[in-house]
Amino acid sequence: MSERQSHIRNFSIIAHIDHGKSTLADRLLETTHTVESREMEEQLLDNMDLERERGITIKARAVNVKYTAADGETYSFNLIDTPGHVDFNYEVSRSLNACEGALLVVDATQGIEAQTLANAYLAIENDLEIVPVINKIDLISADVERVRTEIEDIVGIPAENCPAVSAKLGLNIESVLEHIVRDIPAPSGDENAPLKCLIFDSYYDSYLGVVVYIKVIDGTVKPGDNILMMNTDKTFQVVDVGVMAPFGLNRTDKLSAGDVGYLTASIKNVSDTRVGDTITTAENGLKIPLPGFKKVVPMVFSGIYPLDGAKYGDLRDALEKLQLNDAALSFEAETSAALGFGFRCGFLGLLHMEVIQQRLEREFNLDLITTAPSVIYKITKRNGETIFIDNPVHYPSPDEIETATEPIVKANILTPVEYVGSIMELCQERRGIHKDMKYLDSNRTELHYELPLNEIIYDFFDALKSRSKGYASLDYELFEYRPSKLVKLDILLNGDLVDALSFIVHEEKAYSRGRKIAEKLKENISRQLFEVPIQAAIGGKIIARETVKALRKDVLAKCYGGDITRKKKLLEKQKEGKKKMRQLGSVEITPETFMSVLKLDE
Amino acid sequence: METINKKLGLYIHIPFCKSKCHYCDFYSLTDYNDKFKKLYIDSLLLHMEDYARSAKPYTIDTIYIGGGTPSSLPCNDLLDLIDGIYFNFNVSADAEFTIEVNPGTADHSTFKKLFKSGVNRISFGMQSSCDNELQALARIHNFEDFENSYEAARRAGFENINIDVMFGIPEQTPSSLRTTLERICALEPEHISLYGLKIEENTPFAQIIDSLNLPEEDEEVNMYFESVKYLELQGYEQYEISNFSKSGKQCLHNLKYWNCEDYLGLGPSAHSYYNGYRFSFKTDVEMYIEALKNVDQDFDIIDEYYEISVSERIGEYIMLRMRLNEGINTDKFFELFGLEFDKLYGKYMDNYKNEGYIIKKGKNYSFTVHGMYLSNYILASMLDFDEKSVSKILNGVN
Repeated sequence: MSERQSHIRNFSIIAHIDHGKSTLADRLLETTHTVESREMEEQLLDNMDLERERGITIKARAVNVKYTAADGETYSFNLIDTPGHVDFNYEVSRSLNACEGALLVVDATQGIEAQTLANAYLAIENDLEIVPVINKIDLISADVERVRTEIEDIVGIPAENCPAVSAKLGLNIESVLEHIVRDIPAPSGDENAPLKCLIFDSYYDSYLGVVVYIKVIDGTVKPGDNILMMNTDKTFQVVDVGVMAPFGLNRTDKLSAGDVGYLTASIKNVSDTRVGDTITTAENGLKIPLPGFKKVVPMVFSGIYPLDGAKYGDLRDALEKLQLNDAALSFEAETSAALGFGFRCGFLGLLHMEVIQQRLEREFNLDLITTAPSVIYKITKRNGETIFIDNPVHYPSPDEIETATEPIVKANILTPVEYVGSIMELCQERRGIHKDMKYLDSNRTELHYELPLNEIIYDFFDALKSRSKGYASLDYELFEYRPSKLVKLDILLNGDLVDALSFIVHEEKAYSRGRKIAEKLKENISRQLFEVPIQAAIGGKIIARETVKALRKDVLAKCYGGDITRKKKLLEKQKEGKKKMRQLGSVEITPETFMSVLKLDE
Repeated sequence: METINKKLGLYIHIPFCKSKCHYCDFYSLTDYNDKFKKLYIDSLLLHMEDYARSAKPYTIDTIYIGGGTPSSLPCNDLLDLIDGIYFNFNVSADAEFTIEVNPGTADHSTFKKLFKSGVNRISFGMQSSCDNELQALARIHNFEDFENSYEAARRAGFENINIDVMFGIPEQTPSSLRTTLERICALEPEHISLYGLKIEENTPFAQIIDSLNLPEEDEEVNMYFESVKYLELQGYEQYEISNFSKSGKQCLHNLKYWNCEDYLGLGPSAHSYYNGYRFSFKTDVEMYIEALKNVDQDFDIIDEYYEISVSERIGEYIMLRMRLNEGINTDKFFELFGLEFDKLYGKYMDNYKNEGYIIKKGKNYSFTVHGMYLSNYILASMLDFDEKSVSKILNGVN
């Protein structure tokens, strides 16, 4: 380890949701005067509105902090903030890979919770030194000693001397900083070896091109160097390197082994800078990249349509802009008889889908209709042709299909022992195959299942959380395609098939799913002047039927004195509502109706 | 010189009640004493004086004192107010002059004084003849109180009486509604208003809606259709969604609203359509009094003051006229707006005609009784009030 390296600390902060991860990060920046209090904004690192609101981190982020410790030496800290959701597990593991240690924040009133453990295990897997931090000691119900014992017993790391702080009040923050210096190992790595950098994130900037977040593991990189992205096999010339400041980038001469920083190289496309890829020099570089690279591929697909057909172009522009920063998002144009022109979009998972939808709506001011999410099915037809179906509309008719296969994932569920029964039941209901079960300690269990992905993308995560009081956590990866008895379920309104409501489902589930959707539609379709039958059908066979009764009353009986304005406003409001309606054959439905069938509360 | 044969309706709002009914969202207050009420009447008198000049070209042919509960005012105040009206405005000799009375709040001598002062129509807020239903509405009277008041009014000479009835109210059944209708028809009032209960926001009913024993929607709708039939058999002709009368006894004042004619409304929360503008006075009686006491201080008590454009007037006219059984006469429409109704809306009308919601008799389009009860839905699908949409329709015509 060089003298320079001995003054570097690279670490993440990990925690269960709401245990104070972002507040602690804010306080660290403030206490080291990286950010003055007057510039302070809550949850500085979470700079997407959505992140602040939901208290989750969606994109990884990093910031460089200088700290003069009690020993008189000045240290350079790189704090790497990580996303915290199963959709982004791969990104989290790559971010942790860029660190030597992690602060594990635990709420003094809540103790260890599901994500505390899941994140701690992820850190341990990545060989990180974990520094527990007990937060929220200012609350009356704080029980620091109990939480210390929990950390030792359940996570299995010493916590006797760990800092107990109040990030909210800025209490004991110095002690956290000292622990970072003392307990987290400095990076090692050979400055003179061939260049080896890990990409842990990137974003598109319209002036700089793609800004790539890297950890230099070996070697040195500086402007002018020709570099190679080993997995995507693209070469670039470095324009700039430096470290991340809270409000921008600080240019430096070079980055060397142990440093965390950024580089720019006139890269036009984020898909050339895949998270987990290894950067080396174009000549005389590494032969073997870092292990663990995965090309993230969308696993969940859904149709996104503008509510107002005229906004189709705006939607395309917005998707293009988001894609600049999000290599995992895919989209292509599609049309629906019911919804008009739109896009079939691919996402990592449901959260990713939700995040993209909300960003489209908020940042680009678009009103959207989204169809039920689907996975990719692989169908071999009788004529020998193999096709991939990500849109139920294109599902071939049963007599054309030789074999239909669906994606299966390997799912890892961590749960306290008392919820094992109900979680196994849930997996059973979702066609899961139980592989094995491990007791991690007297209280915690790890369940391994093979589950069809299409059973997970509806509301599995919510169901898992509700059956385990929020304690169970889930991690999954794509395993294989397996033959399955799949059918296409169609929905007919007033006798007309609504293509945007079709979906693919396992034969055994078809009846109950069809019934539930019909019920849900009945609740959500506003009454028309005529009776509207809702039917769920497989092929020509009706498997469920509900009826929306005809509207009989919609009148202002009262005359409200001479208050004509009030009457007019009521009619205008009603008119507005009508304008948002989609005409499906003879039936008018609200955009919310499409969304309602996505949440079936199974 | 302006001609004097322009007609105007006058509405006066009395925002006081003895107690507040649980369904009511009109502006009315319960905790003011007689001294304060007197102050309020003084303000109304001042306000009438203000308008006396601009109302010069008008003849007032309908007057309606509503509330609230006008009959909760001390009788002398009420008479002062009435005198003020005659003093400040040109009131035609045969003007319809209505005052709202709640059962039990006026006795024979009050009715006599009112009759003598020029009032010629009484509107009773009876609502139901079943005491359990009245209680559920938090009305302060029972049916007997109503019968006594009604009889007192008749004795005082009133020959034009309206009775308000509500349906779709808590505890009501089709047969109890029928009983109510039978009882009032036996009294032979000239006019009956039959309102469906609408639970308005910010009323006590809205808070406890789930615990109210309301009729099912289908039952309620059938109550309406059955009542319309029954009243017609009893000689009450329906002329508006909620209004029924003996021949020639339609409420002329309310017809002004539905015909888009001029009316001036005085008092807090009262609305006007006056000289081409719609406006109302702010819903704040204390501010109202202050403002009229201190005219030099420029209190702004006018709310929502706006001119009615042609396109809005067309929309309003259709919205309001279609409430009437007479509906829209295409010749009259052309006379008013210089546009052919058929070209503008014929397409919609024909669609709904085919579905049985609209009928066309000669040159009149109107709702069927089923169409009336769906009028919001139907009107919302065809009407537009904003300039842009209307000009689109107009351009489509040319």
